[in-house]
Amino acid sequence: NYKSKIRRKKIFVLTCALCTLAQLLQDETEHIKCFVEGKDLTCFWEERNNLHHQYTFTYSYENKNKMACAVSSLLASNKTIFFCKLPKTPFFTTLDVQVLRDGRMLYTRSLNAENFLFLDPPRNLTVMSSGKEGQLNVSWLPPPLKYMDDSMIYEVRYAVEGSNMGKVEVVKVSTMLVLLGLQSDTRYKVWVRVKPDGVAYKGYWSAWTEPVFGVTPPSDVDPLIVLLVLFIGLILCLLSLTVILSHHKFLLKKLWPDIPTPEHKFPGLFTVYKGDFKEWMSQNNGSMWGRSVHVYTEELPSLLEVLSEVSRTSHDTSQREEEEEKESESSDSGLTDRWRDPPHAHWLMEQLRALQENPESRCQSSLLQSHDTYVTLNQGDNEQQVDDVFEETLPLQTLFTTTGTSSLSTSHSDLGSLQQSSGSGRLSSQSSFEYPNHTWAPKGPGYAYMAVADSGVSMDYRPMSSSRIAELGRHRMYTNDYKNEICPHKWPLSGQYIKSGSESCTGPVW
Amino acid sequence: MSFFHLRLFALLLMVLEWTRPGLSSPLRPICDLRVLDHFIKEAWDAEAAMRACKDACSIATNFTAPLTRVDFDVWEAMNIEEQAQEVQSGLHVLNETISSLQASNQTDVLQSHIDASISNIASIRQVLRSLSIPEYVPPASGGEDKEMQNVSSISELFQVHINFLRGKVRLLLANAPVCHQGVS
Repeated sequence: NYKSKIRRKKIFVLTCALCTLAQLLQDETEHIKCFVEGKDLTCFWEERNNLHHQYTFTYSYENKNKMACAVSSLLASNKTIFFCKLPKTPFFTTLDVQVLRDGRMLYTRSLNAENFLFLDPPRNLTVMSSGKEGQLNVSWLPPPLKYMDDSMIYEVRYAVEGSNMGKVEVVKVSTMLVLLGLQSDTRYKVWVRVKPDGVAYKGYWSAWTEPVFGVTPPSDVDPLIVLLVLFIGLILCLLSLTVILSHHKFLLKKLWPDIPTPEHKFPGLFTVYKGDFKEWMSQNNGSMWGRSVHVYTEELPSLLEVLSEVSRTSHDTSQREEEEEKESESSDSGLTDRWRDPPHAHWLMEQLRALQENPESRCQSSLLQSHDTYVTLNQGDNEQQVDDVFEETLPLQTLFTTTGTSSLSTSHSDLGSLQQSSGSGRLSSQSSFEYPNHTWAPKGPGYAYMAVADSGVSMDYRPMSSSRIAELGRHRMYTNDYKNEICPHKWPLSGQYIKSGSESCTGPVW
Repeated sequence: MSFFHLRLFALLLMVLEWTRPGLSSPLRPICDLRVLDHFIKEAWDAEAAMRACKDACSIATNFTAPLTRVDFDVWEAMNIEEQAQEVQSGLHVLNETISSLQASNQTDVLQSHIDASISNIASIRQVLRSLSIPEYVPPASGGEDKEMQNVSSISELFQVHINFLRGKVRLLLANAPVCHQGVS
């Protein structure tokens, strides 16, 4: 009974080994399949349709005497497994085995036992958490075999519990492994198996160990740190929001500046005429005269082309006569002190008065006479050019003679005071406006060019008063904007134009 | 004067110690079996190469080769000296037999394997020497030599070669007393 128990146990163990090996040996082409468990060699073969044949198993070492081995059998589903076990098989030598069926050679094979090792699975598999996120420490013990401790390789298989997708890691010689890259706070299943490394010994993979479970540690992000980070982030957001809101105008201007467009200066140019300036010009020709005068800063003097020269001798004489009459009349008036005796003063007054009354009629008025050295375009008869004096030259002259004053906002009565206070002499000696007589008519109300030879006259380019500037600011001054208004009472006074809303040409605002 | 002579004498001793001919200083014991595993891997390559050329590599004469069989019970019953003698005599015979192949006309590939095997046997001898394993002692005249076997082909010779290294040589190295000193 004891022996039968031992035998049954051996068969049970052998059966288990055979079951494990059966899958491994599927690709084995040899009929006789052998493996070494411990020190014992077991060879087996499969037969179908067992028809009560007599099988004999013989073996021999190094071509010496053949020995027989007792054959045992196991009944499987549709086949019979015959096997024979050779205890304490010598290694590193050639073993010849034969299977005889009814005395006839059925199968034969030559093999070295040390090449067919089937080891027991590793022992004491343990899986522990290393404390680090996503890591598990796996360790085990090799099967108890002498002389082979350093000739083994291991395979570690791990998978999330309940999942069929596992990963495999191969470990050489060492009996421990650190699994990396695992999910936090997850339960893992781990298996290990072993095989000879193939240098000194060869063999098959052992059976997998029983699975051992291990749980990875949870993510180690401190909640306090998370809260602090969130809090600081919130504060920073609020701060930046406050800064943005308080300077939103400035930032908007910097990030999205207004693109200045001249559209309002050219009504309808971009909307109606689609940018066709010629078309727009032809349509808006008449209204150009009604356009207001613009004022720009004194940094950009306009280029004036001298067109012609006109003498004013006849005007001078008439002025003198008028002045003499006035002087005699107002000898007791305080005005006499204020009045000097500029030859053109009275004539200037008359011209201004006439200009204000009837602006359009003076378009063809004459110019001042030039006395100094500058280019004269028209060398013709000065007499004829009397009528070509432009009224606009008169206030310009007035301005040039005045150094102390700055604004145009002088009353009519103050005109004389303007002239008086300067004492710098007449402009006519230092600058002139020349218009070629013949070129005027064909051009028509096209362009007016005036060349100012500034040879030392103190031209008053003082900026206007702040009140004026404020007023101008509302009307959008453009420094580059030079309006070539044909209207004679365009006053390039200190390079500034006053914009007014009236359609007609207006003189200087007094 | 005497002090000067003493110093000169010490200097001469030092110089002679360095240039002492003959025996070299004892080697450090090589207990790591990976060294032997490297030679075994090369022996595997040689065996595979020889197995492939069966016809071209055959030679008429027989070779003498050591026995490679290991019965663990018998082996464990032997003492270290007996084991050493068996290993050393086997290596000696292998070395002589493989060296005799160098004279024969072989292909370059096979010749390289032959040369590597001879070199590896010499290295294994050095490893055994480092482990204080007794050297090979030829048997006295009239004494029995270790049992040998006859092999008839080069491929069979290199099978013996690889099996001998994997078996007896490795077992001897794995159990060298020098490597297990201090281990209970």
